[in-house]
Amino acid sequence: MLKEPIKLNMNEVAYPPSEEIIETARKSLMDLNRYSDPEDIERLLGLLADYSGVPKKHIIQSPGSDLLIREIIHAYSKGRKIVIVSPSFFPTVQAAKQFATELISIRLSPPDFDLNPDLLLDQLNEPCLVILDNPNNPTGKILVDRRIVGSIVERRDVLFVVDEAYYEFSGVTFADMVQEHPNLAITRTMDKAFSLAGARIGYMIAGEAFFDAFSSFYMILPRPSLYAAIQALKNPDYMRRNVCRVIAERERVWETLNDNLRGQAYKSVTNFLLIKTDVFNIVEKLANVGIRVSDLSNQLPSGFIRVSIGNREDNDAFITGYTKICEKYSQKKY
Amino acid sequence: MKRTIGLIVNPVAGMGGSVGLKGTDGEMYKKALELGAKPVTPERTRDVLSHIRNRDRITLFVAPGKMGERHVEGTDMSYKVIGKVGRDTAAEDTKRISEEMVNNGIELLVFVGGDGTARDICDAISSKIPVVAVPGGVKVFSSVFSVSARAAAEMIEAFVESTDLIEEEVLDIDEDAFREGRLASKLYGYLLVPNVKKLLQGAKEASGVTGSAVQDKLAVAKYVVENMDRGILYLFGPGTTVKAIADELGVPKTLLGIDAVFEGKSVGTDVNEKRILGLFNKYEKRKIILTPIGGNGFILGRGSKQFTPEVIKQVDRENIMVVATIDKINRLDCLRVDTGDLGLDRLLSGYMEVTVGPKEKMMVKVRC
Repeated sequence: MLKEPIKLNMNEVAYPPSEEIIETARKSLMDLNRYSDPEDIERLLGLLADYSGVPKKHIIQSPGSDLLIREIIHAYSKGRKIVIVSPSFFPTVQAAKQFATELISIRLSPPDFDLNPDLLLDQLNEPCLVILDNPNNPTGKILVDRRIVGSIVERRDVLFVVDEAYYEFSGVTFADMVQEHPNLAITRTMDKAFSLAGARIGYMIAGEAFFDAFSSFYMILPRPSLYAAIQALKNPDYMRRNVCRVIAERERVWETLNDNLRGQAYKSVTNFLLIKTDVFNIVEKLANVGIRVSDLSNQLPSGFIRVSIGNREDNDAFITGYTKICEKYSQKKY
Repeated sequence: MKRTIGLIVNPVAGMGGSVGLKGTDGEMYKKALELGAKPVTPERTRDVLSHIRNRDRITLFVAPGKMGERHVEGTDMSYKVIGKVGRDTAAEDTKRISEEMVNNGIELLVFVGGDGTARDICDAISSKIPVVAVPGGVKVFSSVFSVSARAAAEMIEAFVESTDLIEEEVLDIDEDAFREGRLASKLYGYLLVPNVKKLLQGAKEASGVTGSAVQDKLAVAKYVVENMDRGILYLFGPGTTVKAIADELGVPKTLLGIDAVFEGKSVGTDVNEKRILGLFNKYEKRKIILTPIGGNGFILGRGSKQFTPEVIKQVDRENIMVVATIDKINRLDCLRVDTGDLGLDRLLSGYMEVTVGPKEKMMVKVRC
């Protein structure tokens, strides 16, 4: 039988949900002939509000945060310029291209991939919807700080959405600013840090300016997803332990790659690394040794790949496979 | 199904490098020999051939002697020799044999050489068939070249397995200037190469890839034409994206030159600095439309020397419009300028708006 490929291409967390979560989801399967109970959806909203430190009225849940981002773009693209960065979370780029009447992408250029805040602020002289992933996917960098967020949201014609899909890894959030700034919204997911990619639980911590468009937005979550999410939020320490493991592994992989291959991996505050290589077609070469990574050639100059941090065994397999390929094919001598 | 592939090796390309000559164009080859230079392209050629895995699906047509045949002899690849050459080979041989190969039905031409060889191939076959350009010369600045011999082998494999094609630039580097440490280049033309990137897309990211480069170019062109203003002189720079705008307008466009358009009508083709400044006497409002050179991202200073500092100063930064397909911009680190006037280059640096689609603009860093 063929060995299962090592999946380091989707930024999933390698550690499975806790036994309690799995058991809760399993139990819910017995009632799959029933819709989820609205009271339990309210319970989830309450737990998400507590976890995020905001009143419940600010929480809007959805199957996946990409759906929320798509809905935001769809709702606010008419009469508003959309401002994003490039590269960015690909579903955001796709939705912006589909719905925007005017789209401005600010290019994050190698080698530093920094966002020039003045350039961004210069764009905000008319009604705008700004969507930034912070930390950015695929660079793994924090793009904006609290001061810049403050400068953006003080423009009344601007709606500002910060995608914090990797918040648990970066520790950086602006969720506490939404009550004071109605034009700010934060999107998050339980796909990553909570090990629930298969459950697809996304949510938004929305400022009041977003309430109208989402007043009739009501998504019934699948029962196993709903109960798994509730159980995960009841004991977030399990998630936190996994996040610590991922961060420790991320730093180990980063150091090893940079020791072995002289600085090819970029610093990251997420659960993935951006890597630059001169090896042609490296995604396929890694796939040939059973390792899947994400090719970025449709968003960045050639040679950039994004690699999720797996468990120790997966990461070791990646380091070994990647180093061997570089030693064989790279023009640089190691 | 077997694919018919041609192979032409420039036997003298790259020989100037080891002896510090920075090229073997023209008579420099003899000087390289006098200095004891050794051929470098034979090994490069063998390297490419040895890495092709699906060689049983290839029918190889090769140039005679040291231009191809000699490097295939003794390998397990069957081949047919096309054309004749004398003892000393020259650019004319490359041009003539590549034409003969095309007439004999090759579907892909693999050549080993440098920028000079790419220019010869461009002259001879233009975009009739795609090429795989193997870097073997001293000067390999053109984006048409693959990154290495192994990468070239993989491009050949991809072509055999069937892939779509993409345009890449051939640059004309001034060899005398290069020897003096200056990089003076202009856009010479375009060749088609197998688009291996298409084979590399990851599952999630690949789902939203824009349509073909040709469609994207047309969409940009249509948008620009719809938004052109009356009463403004437009100067169209070189490149196929700008040419698509001219085609959409129905005015003539020299692919590598600069052309002038006013209110939808051509008012000058292939204009030089003097003619541009003459047009400025007549037309007070002006705009320049540019597209970056693939690979290095130059918008001014390489490939458009007619846009002199004097011309650019009379247009102003805000009247420079940059257009490109999203695919091309994504493959660049940044945009670059090198007008020869450092003060002007600094003024042009910073961020510039690039029109990449009908409703879409990208703010891209310009470096000098």
